[in-house]
Amino acid sequence: MSSREIYTDRRTAGLLLLPTILVSLVFLYYPAARAARRALYSSQLGLDDEFVGLENFAELLTSGGYQSRLLLTVGFAAVVVAGVMVVALLLTFLVHEVGTGKSIYLVAAIWPYALPPAVAALVFIFLVHPSLGVLSGPLATLGVDLDWFADGRQAFVVVTVAAIWKQIGYNVIFMIASMNNIPETLTETARLDGVGRLRRLLWVYVPIMTPTLFFLVILNTIYAFFGTFAFIDIMTGGGPSGATNILIFDLYQEAFDFFNWGLASAKSVVLFAIVGVLMYVQFRLTDKYSHYGA
Amino acid sequence: MLGLIQYPARLLRATKRQTAALALPDRRDLETIGLHLLLVGSVLLIVFPILVAAIVSTKQTGIVTGLADLVPGGHVVENYRTVLVDYQFGRFMWNSFLMATVIVTGKLALSIFAATAIVYYDLPYKDLLFLFILFTLLLPVPVRFIPLFQLVADMGWTNSMLAITVPYLASATTVFILRQHFLSIPSSIVETAKLDGVGPLKFMAFVLLPMSKGILVGVSVIMFVFAWNQYLWPLVIINAEADQVAQVGLALLEGDVVGGEVSWSLVMAGSMLTLLPPLLLLILFRKPLLRAFVIQQK
Repeated sequence: MSSREIYTDRRTAGLLLLPTILVSLVFLYYPAARAARRALYSSQLGLDDEFVGLENFAELLTSGGYQSRLLLTVGFAAVVVAGVMVVALLLTFLVHEVGTGKSIYLVAAIWPYALPPAVAALVFIFLVHPSLGVLSGPLATLGVDLDWFADGRQAFVVVTVAAIWKQIGYNVIFMIASMNNIPETLTETARLDGVGRLRRLLWVYVPIMTPTLFFLVILNTIYAFFGTFAFIDIMTGGGPSGATNILIFDLYQEAFDFFNWGLASAKSVVLFAIVGVLMYVQFRLTDKYSHYGA
Repeated sequence: MLGLIQYPARLLRATKRQTAALALPDRRDLETIGLHLLLVGSVLLIVFPILVAAIVSTKQTGIVTGLADLVPGGHVVENYRTVLVDYQFGRFMWNSFLMATVIVTGKLALSIFAATAIVYYDLPYKDLLFLFILFTLLLPVPVRFIPLFQLVADMGWTNSMLAITVPYLASATTVFILRQHFLSIPSSIVETAKLDGVGPLKFMAFVLLPMSKGILVGVSVIMFVFAWNQYLWPLVIINAEADQVAQVGLALLEGDVVGGEVSWSLVMAGSMLTLLPPLLLLILFRKPLLRAFVIQQK
């Protein structure tokens, strides 16, 4: 028994824990179980349910459409994660190195954390609107003909850039904390050895920041998979011709456009499995790196 | 005492900086200027889209064909009034504000209770209970919004404030952060409370809360930003326009612009309004916010 455990009245403890446990059971665990069960039934909402076993999952596994959407989502996540982390790392380094005005620069770098995805999506549509966009003219003079309402590849790029922009602040928040933790003596030693700034970042700071960077890879992957729904819904609606139809948007359509609840539940279970794998990886990595004491 | 130790150290550092500056004045200065230029450039790039939105929100039509058109117009009051009143943004913002406030208050209360029980009570299967709460991290809204929709609709909560607040009230992250923080409060203080015979409610109100002010402000800001920015769940569970929140209200406004009903300047005014509350909180409370995040990562 630790010296902090000063109370023993179990009834009070139960009352203190009850609200959190109740809400978790009713609105988190129960829906998850319900989705797992519903995934084994066929039919649309309102029609009679027919038990079909794993048929829905078999359909997903063999569906070329679903496979390509899964691949698209993985590609989208890879680009978003890499893009966010490179930009945020460089930005954090600049803030870390600067002397005067540090706190102002820091706020100017982390504010997109507060940016609502719906706002980011709308502002971006306006910036690069094919006919009205502020940047469409300047980009045209550079030889980029914006046509992302019809061009799938361009739509993918526009959504990716918007999604990266929104996530920069969140990454800087964690990176600056990690970078500020690096002992001053290391920086001094590197300086005395004549190591340039960029090399100091890559060969001294980044290795020390590895636990934080891994943590951010997982966090950003979850963001790319699930947190970007508003971008897709507002900017492209999954189009043109499926070019930005990532899994979370596909799931939304399955349920609320096609009313295929059996299949939508199976897709929820797949997403749950993806979160599970990501969290497990994070858990193992945190364990592995915890001895660094970071 | 501390002052005596710190003073010479600071003095030493200042002398070191001066000698360094004397030795290599040009290179250091150039580097510093370059650093500032790079930073100002990057920051401008990140702020640019919002600057454009802010400028366009003051113009009459919102037709901006080039960078030269980016000068503020004189329609500020008119645009924001139209959005707030005619396009119901006053209503949407109020709904969002109510939703975020209920979620922050509720989550905070529930999480303080749960973390107190977990840290300060001698309970069997305590680790298991904590795991039960932590495990909900695997079930974010996007993973379960389909069955949650069915459940909440069955409960008859569609279009209600209950629907967009109650399912959010259990928070593994907040319980985790508070637990970490409570564990960092010296046990000697806790033991004193025990010797004085302080009951659990008094202990929370007069010992725990005063010692957790910073962290509570930090997690509150995190929770507010999270709640305010919710989009997917209100989109599916709220279908009466008067009950809608600002995020989805923005998407509705965009539908109007595509239909040719409103101008982009109004959409940008709506965007600025929706951005304002979380942005202000971030700027005002950035220090406790950053500290809360550092704990979360551990």
